[in-house]
Amino acid sequence: MDASPTSRAILSCSNMTCELDSVTGPLKILQDINFSIDTRRALGIVGESGAGKSMLVKAIMGIAPRGLRIAGKIELDGQDLSKLKPKDRRKLIGRRVGIVFQNPMTSLNPFVQIGQQIEEGGRIHLGLSHNEARRRAIELLNLVGIPDAADCYDYYPHQFSGGMKQRIMIAAALICEPDLLIADEATTALDVTVQKEVLDLLQNIQAERQMSMILVSHNLGVVAGRTDEILVLYGGNVVEYGPTAEVFRNPRHRYTEALLSAMPQMDQPAHTRLRTIPGQPPNLASRPKGCPFAPRCPAAQAICHDVMPDVSTGIEASHRFACHFPLSEISRLTPVEAAHVQ
Amino acid sequence: MTDIGNPLGLNPGPDAKLSEIVRAATPWSSKLRLSGGSVSDTVAAIFLVLLILVALFVDFIPGLVSPRLPYGDFSQLPDWSLNGLLGTDDIGRSIFSRVLYGARTSMMIVAISTTIALVAGLLLGMLAGYYRGYFERAVDLFANALAAMPSTLVVLAFVAVTGPSVITIIVVLGIFDIGTYARVAKAGVISQSNRDYVLAARAMGATDGRILLQEILPNLIPALTAVMPTLMAGLIITEGSLSFLGYGIPAPAPSWGGMIASSTDLLSRFPLLILGPVLAIVFTVYAFNTIGDYLAQRLNNRERES
Amino acid sequence: MNSVKPYAKAVSTRLIAGVLVFLLVTFSATALSSLAPGSAAQLILGDYATPEQIATLNATYGYDLPIWQRYLSWLGDLLRGDLGVTMFSQQPVLGVVLERAAVTFEIAFLAMAVSLLGVPLAMYTASHPNKLTDKVMRSVSTLLLAVPTFVIVVLFSYLFALVLRWLPATGWVKFTDNPLANLWYVALPVMCLSMHQTAYLYRVARNEFVTTLQEDYIAVARAKGLPLSYILFHHALRPAMPQIITVMGLSLTYMLAGSFVVESYFAVPGIGWTVLSAVKSHDIPLVQAILSLTVVIFVIVFMLVDLGYALIDPRVKVS
Repeated sequence: MDASPTSRAILSCSNMTCELDSVTGPLKILQDINFSIDTRRALGIVGESGAGKSMLVKAIMGIAPRGLRIAGKIELDGQDLSKLKPKDRRKLIGRRVGIVFQNPMTSLNPFVQIGQQIEEGGRIHLGLSHNEARRRAIELLNLVGIPDAADCYDYYPHQFSGGMKQRIMIAAALICEPDLLIADEATTALDVTVQKEVLDLLQNIQAERQMSMILVSHNLGVVAGRTDEILVLYGGNVVEYGPTAEVFRNPRHRYTEALLSAMPQMDQPAHTRLRTIPGQPPNLASRPKGCPFAPRCPAAQAICHDVMPDVSTGIEASHRFACHFPLSEISRLTPVEAAHVQ
Repeated sequence: MTDIGNPLGLNPGPDAKLSEIVRAATPWSSKLRLSGGSVSDTVAAIFLVLLILVALFVDFIPGLVSPRLPYGDFSQLPDWSLNGLLGTDDIGRSIFSRVLYGARTSMMIVAISTTIALVAGLLLGMLAGYYRGYFERAVDLFANALAAMPSTLVVLAFVAVTGPSVITIIVVLGIFDIGTYARVAKAGVISQSNRDYVLAARAMGATDGRILLQEILPNLIPALTAVMPTLMAGLIITEGSLSFLGYGIPAPAPSWGGMIASSTDLLSRFPLLILGPVLAIVFTVYAFNTIGDYLAQRLNNRERES
Repeated sequence: MNSVKPYAKAVSTRLIAGVLVFLLVTFSATALSSLAPGSAAQLILGDYATPEQIATLNATYGYDLPIWQRYLSWLGDLLRGDLGVTMFSQQPVLGVVLERAAVTFEIAFLAMAVSLLGVPLAMYTASHPNKLTDKVMRSVSTLLLAVPTFVIVVLFSYLFALVLRWLPATGWVKFTDNPLANLWYVALPVMCLSMHQTAYLYRVARNEFVTTLQEDYIAVARAKGLPLSYILFHHALRPAMPQIITVMGLSLTYMLAGSFVVESYFAVPGIGWTVLSAVKSHDIPLVQAILSLTVVIFVIVFMLVDLGYALIDPRVKVS
């Protein structure tokens, strides 16, 4: 992948593997993850529940559960996170990365006023004074669309709706003016109409502030049209990674193709049966040796079950996938044009 | 619970892990332990069983001297004989014997007081929980009134009027525990009242009494047995304190608190005199508390599953 | 925010309940004196009293009257601030009780303050679970709670006063007379009383913190890169406050129950010691007065604890 001289990778993962000890033995939650995001770019991470998306985010943010062993390199702003002292790592991540989690109902401390929950990052990491932090926080509240920000400042979380709570979370994530914003299933728990509002808000903020962004979702519709690159996870492995438009137009891995086909499309007749992927996600305790998707793959051969496929590249060098028998390069009507608002 | 927790739903606290591993490695070891408990839970249970046995059968222990008659020299150090195991007190009585007979006294008080409290508490609590209304409020008022006074003070007030006696202690302490049992019973009945099996019984024409006694009562037992040991430990402590102050079990009957009190004068020269009763009380209370914790934990787990 | 009206209703409901409790208990206390074999006066004066003396005493204190009458007149006196006169010194009960109560209160207050040390300790072990400190504290607290207060009193007195000779075995100096000497005398009683309190508060606080630390918003705070100490004090402490306050409120029960043993052993002139000497001399009016005062204090404290919940948890609507 060519990085233009003026942009650099804000976050990159090299050969990252995450293992968790359990009663039945070590579980490989993530295996051999490689990706990077440049400044001002948006990356979408998609996968089913249990594919490892959340664990990936937690590993980056340093809040993985105790007992998780992380191998490989995670670099934030050029610094290897594993080589930093915990205190420095915490400060770096807090200062550079903002994160919005899935469940707005439980992500805010019900005993603490929202104003404080927004400004605390700024006060701790940037050393902002009380007044300065308050000013910035109110500015952010206005930015995210909370009416009467100055009055609402001292309210408690239970006085807001779910959508507004999520906006408050976004405001809190922006207080330190981070270079990278991560939205981990940020809209999954919201109403459909609110989802679009929040996603649009995120996209606008990213553009205005020229931040990098990671959108994590199990829903392809969320990342369509809002991301520059997309990373498809399955069973803890990267199965496809490349520019969003290219991957949507030309999926090489059958899992990606199945995901794309499963999306309902505007131009389909009503009551069309949606295509599903038969089978279950892999049990991480008894992980097969070869490609994790092999048990469910319609084109799986013997080698697929035994040997983990190497990473190959597609037409564009930036489009990568891991499959022994990938789909051929065919152009197809891009479903991404269809405006399926989630 | 949340999605930010462990995605595999495992919560490997070390206790769970250890017991799981042990259970996997040695299937037979589960028979040695109280289900779901740790080693200390089993030890506590065994200790309590021994205590009850002692309380019942202390008369029949061969070779044990009377707790009231001097048998040896004054304030002897402990030796390896049965009666001299904990030494002798200032009058020459065997401390070991007195400790064992003291166990009988303490356990008797615990048993009778708890019975009074349990029966009355169950009655009041179940009726209050089933019929609600004014009766419930009256029972609440009664329980609150009991909680608004320290039991020791009330016993002392009685003693001021009637003089120290075992019956006073048993009755007063028993009455004080009624509140807790009533509250537990009431809460249990209220939560069970809307369950299907109750509605079914009522539909079949069962009388209220039958429903309460045969259907609901068995389901209250886990919660009641979870609080009992803690209350029993409290009884032992309160009785001990009162005896220590001289207003509990009248001397010369052996009581752990009384034994400690009478040893305090000689503490400077014969510190080991307090060893016996102190160990007895501490182990007993510890055992009750441990069992109480274990039962409460089991109750919690069961509730979480249902 | 919460309006005043629901508070007013809650307070008045509890006040009424509290008053009912008070009446119930004090009536029982009055009825108590009728339990005496013979008459109460006989008990007080002893075996050598003449019938005339007994009759006089009965008349003065009203022991020959039926319980209801006696109670109502006692209540009437109470409302006028008159709690009667003690048997011995013929001093007004109220004055004596208040003076002694101040002493007990000082010890209780200091013991509760010391017990607060359990909270930061719990914060630490809750956030570093199953390390050495956590395991040690678990054993220590369990053990401590299994040793009754009077045993702690005997053992500590033996250790600190007899063996080490760091602190006095008995005695008391009023705080107003000599603060430093007072502290020296108050040390042992406070140490003894605070042991159980600290252990209990520690356990409750640790449980609360462990539960709270598993909440999503704590993970969010960690993801924000906030330091652990900030998270503990600004995010974990507040949800734990209701339970902590409950324990502190209930500690009053323990302080009073413990005061009997502690004050009698260390010869401290507080409420507990007063009750004991009143019991010995069958000073019934004094016992009755102390019982009544105790009930009032307890009812008020419980009510405050109850209402405290509503103040601390912003989600709770006062009901």
